[in-house]
Amino acid sequence: MTVRSWQRLRAPGPLSLVAGCLVPVAGTFAIDSALEGIIGLAAQVLALGWLIRDVRGTVLRAAVGFVAAAGIAVSTWLYGGRDLGEAGMAACRILYLVLPSSMLLPLLRPSQLGDHLAQRLHLPDRGVVACVAALQALDAFAADWRTIQHARRARGLGLDGGPWHRLKGSGATAFALLVVSMRHTGAMSVAMDARGFASATDRTWAEPAPWRPADSLLLSQAVLLAALPWLLH
Amino acid sequence: MPSTRCLPVGKRPTIAARDPRTGGAHVAVEALGWQPLGRRTPVLHDLDLTIPAGQRVLLAGPSGAGKSTLLRALAGLLLTAGHGEVAGSVRIDGHDVNRRLGGTGLLLQDPLAGVVAETVGRDVAFGLENARVPRSEIWPRVHATLSAAQFPYPATHLTRALSGGETQRLVLAGNLVLDNGLLLLDEPTSMLDAVAANAVRGAIQREVRERGCTMVAVEHHLEPWVDFADRLLVIGRHGEVLADGVPAQILAEQGDALSAQGVWLPGLPAPRPVPVDATLVAPWVDGPQRLVTATGVRVELRSSLADRAAPPTVALAGVDVELRSGQALAVTGVSGAGKSTLVSVLAGLLRPTAGSVEADPALATRRGTRPWRWRSRDLTARLAWAPQSPEHGIVTATVRDEVLASARACGRDTARAEARAVGLLEVFGLDGLATVSPYHLSGGEQRRLIVAATLAHGPYGVLLDEPTVGQDRHTWGAVIGAISAARDAGAGVAVSTHDLMAADVLADDRTELAGGRVVR
Repeated sequence: MTVRSWQRLRAPGPLSLVAGCLVPVAGTFAIDSALEGIIGLAAQVLALGWLIRDVRGTVLRAAVGFVAAAGIAVSTWLYGGRDLGEAGMAACRILYLVLPSSMLLPLLRPSQLGDHLAQRLHLPDRGVVACVAALQALDAFAADWRTIQHARRARGLGLDGGPWHRLKGSGATAFALLVVSMRHTGAMSVAMDARGFASATDRTWAEPAPWRPADSLLLSQAVLLAALPWLLH
Repeated sequence: MPSTRCLPVGKRPTIAARDPRTGGAHVAVEALGWQPLGRRTPVLHDLDLTIPAGQRVLLAGPSGAGKSTLLRALAGLLLTAGHGEVAGSVRIDGHDVNRRLGGTGLLLQDPLAGVVAETVGRDVAFGLENARVPRSEIWPRVHATLSAAQFPYPATHLTRALSGGETQRLVLAGNLVLDNGLLLLDEPTSMLDAVAANAVRGAIQREVRERGCTMVAVEHHLEPWVDFADRLLVIGRHGEVLADGVPAQILAEQGDALSAQGVWLPGLPAPRPVPVDATLVAPWVDGPQRLVTATGVRVELRSSLADRAAPPTVALAGVDVELRSGQALAVTGVSGAGKSTLVSVLAGLLRPTAGSVEADPALATRRGTRPWRWRSRDLTARLAWAPQSPEHGIVTATVRDEVLASARACGRDTARAEARAVGLLEVFGLDGLATVSPYHLSGGEQRRLIVAATLAHGPYGVLLDEPTVGQDRHTWGAVIGAISAARDAGAGVAVSTHDLMAADVLADDRTELAGGRVVR
């Protein structure tokens, strides 16, 4: 196998990535022992791990899942007859649910997702474009949130004091963010309409939305991961 | 003959490709009026205007005169941008503009508002996709437009990695790829530093000249446009036409009158700062000499939410500055040099990654002397800050409440605070708008409001990010006058600015940043 085709296999398209996150969920219901769970999780890491680009980020995202799993394990242990096996099984189910997403989601690129949703799944063009543009503005959204919080803090309305104060402050920030982002969206729709979006009921797409071998591979892996716990059952 | 090579036959003729030899679009405006929801007076009233094909019009006027509104009307986008009542008609090449959306290029003040895609190429392709240009033709046209615009990056470059000036040039390319006959410019360089502004202006003027399109440009500073424009149109505070004709002639004959209206004209000295009563802007009580000292400050910011693997940006590295009572510091430098970050650090809004930011012991609170540790109310009583984008700074529902918000939060005496607020609104020409929502003000008005809101409660330190953007000569004089008066009354002022005139008039001390370091 050449380096190039290896790289291609490592870059599946957006639809198979979404399938890779969702399809294995079906396997969760069949896990009914910790051992099955551990085998399943190992299979997930083996099957999908080679697609990971950003190891540190993936570990951080997975850590959130581990915390949730630990919480479930502890409560199962406490209320489920102090049975370690039961607790381990519950934890594995949660991890089986979230691990694929934490590995695959960061590979998803909004513009590619838009291309595929419109051309392959034939979702309405305008909705798809609006969604992609909104995802594109996500960083601006986060920056807006920070600036508004800074402004509120500098004006004596910042988030300190008790939980009630903080809640009220967050609500006010969220409202300001809503107003600011609606105005930003307004400016953006002015700019988009000026480029012909207003009258574009159907449009062409600059990039194709191909289904590649990498997509078939990932989809079949996802199906196998969904089936594995049922087979072990 | 206008060519239609990019359109499938019989499809919407909304975006007609244009042969440069035939020149630009012809614009006819008749009895145009616009009254936005929530304002008692119309922004535009009974306006007539004819712009022959290929003419380059420079549109000027005082802050709040409805210049941006007129541009949106010409693009047929008044109702995309807001709610209100439209009267009259706008026709472009004989077609009602509301029936013929698109076909008009539009550059806005905020470059980010124009970006719709992840990569440079995809962004330029956006308009072509909307016009149903087949894929095989899209990419050649995208590449040709980018290279004609001398855009410095390939089509695969990420849009979020572009600077403000580069983004504006990208938006220009994305509009010109459609062979628009009319290009509308809404202060496209006002948020850029001098170097970037020059590059954007150069790109615009080259393209307009080569394509022969009709242009309407709103700019506060006319100087770089006067030789390029065929016509200068000045509108007044109520949307009335004050002057209309050949730029050089108008400037020679009516220069003084226009300048008195607040219009920025080339060759005139900086406006005189408006004298402002010290009791409106002085610190509430006298403070110490040294307010905040920053030593060896380094600030790293996370660069992208979407791409967590991206390394953090070093916004400041080893910067030493001091905020002193009775002194004004101007922080200058190109975009991305770290000006805003430095002002935010001094304002106690960002925690330095390394180095120290310490206030004078006389300002210490229960949480010590580091401003970023202070409780919000304690911070407000000591230091005030105005963000670069004023609308992010709005925290209340009326103009009057906005000016009083900080005074209320830190428990200032009501009568005195209200007297100061009323006085400041008058100085800034906002006294008639006291009960209006701050969101309904024009960009220039919002900025003055937020500056007033940083002064009314009398903090020791006043930290302002670009306080003069979008101001006419009068309101510029008022803003600079109020800041100078606060400084003279003992406040410590730091201003980050592209406006070198403001830095010259205001500053006792200057810090120039480049790449997060002090260069001068």
